[in-house]
Amino acid sequence: MIDYAIWKRGIGSGVVAGIVWGWLAMLIHTVTGISPVEHSILYNMFPFTIGGVIFGILSGGLLALIHDRLPFKTSFGKAVMLTSLIWLMLHVGGFLLSLIDSGRYHYSSREAVHGLILFVLLGGILGAVWQVRNRGWRV
Amino acid sequence: MEQCIEKENSLAGILLLVLFMVISAIAMGVIVYGIDSVMPGAHNSFHDFRHFIGMPCH
Repeated sequence: MIDYAIWKRGIGSGVVAGIVWGWLAMLIHTVTGISPVEHSILYNMFPFTIGGVIFGILSGGLLALIHDRLPFKTSFGKAVMLTSLIWLMLHVGGFLLSLIDSGRYHYSSREAVHGLILFVLLGGILGAVWQVRNRGWRV
Repeated sequence: MEQCIEKENSLAGILLLVLFMVISAIAMGVIVYGIDSVMPGAHNSFHDFRHFIGMPCH
């Protein structure tokens, strides 16, 4: 049986982690400059926040659902594994689309590695928020 | 207290969360692949974000 309260808490943790991740991602983007930027930082605050929240909701919700079934002992490891798998799944879809229409979906392995690192970061933040919200700080 | 727990775990509540997750998953697909036919302007609005998370784009 799905525990409503834990699931709700997982989604809440995801929203918090997603917002932090989205803003952090923007900061990292200004440092790495991995891809040419089309919009201003002020404009990008909106898509990066919305994107972060969406990814956070899904990651947090899924983490709450399958937390006990994932390998790794710590929530940190579980969350990193989950977000990396989500990225991999989305990336396979993107890669297939690039094979179908390479003009519309141009593949860049440099950006792909960058994206994977970012999703590991999202998992790390989510794991930390999950830990704090569920058990409090424990070293 | 039991009533409270029952209310929390009600079918309607669970279904609402499932719906919320499904909508979020669709939104994620629209953002990641820039599907303008579902949400006009999705491609352009999330262009930098999509590049940044390593998704193929033009």
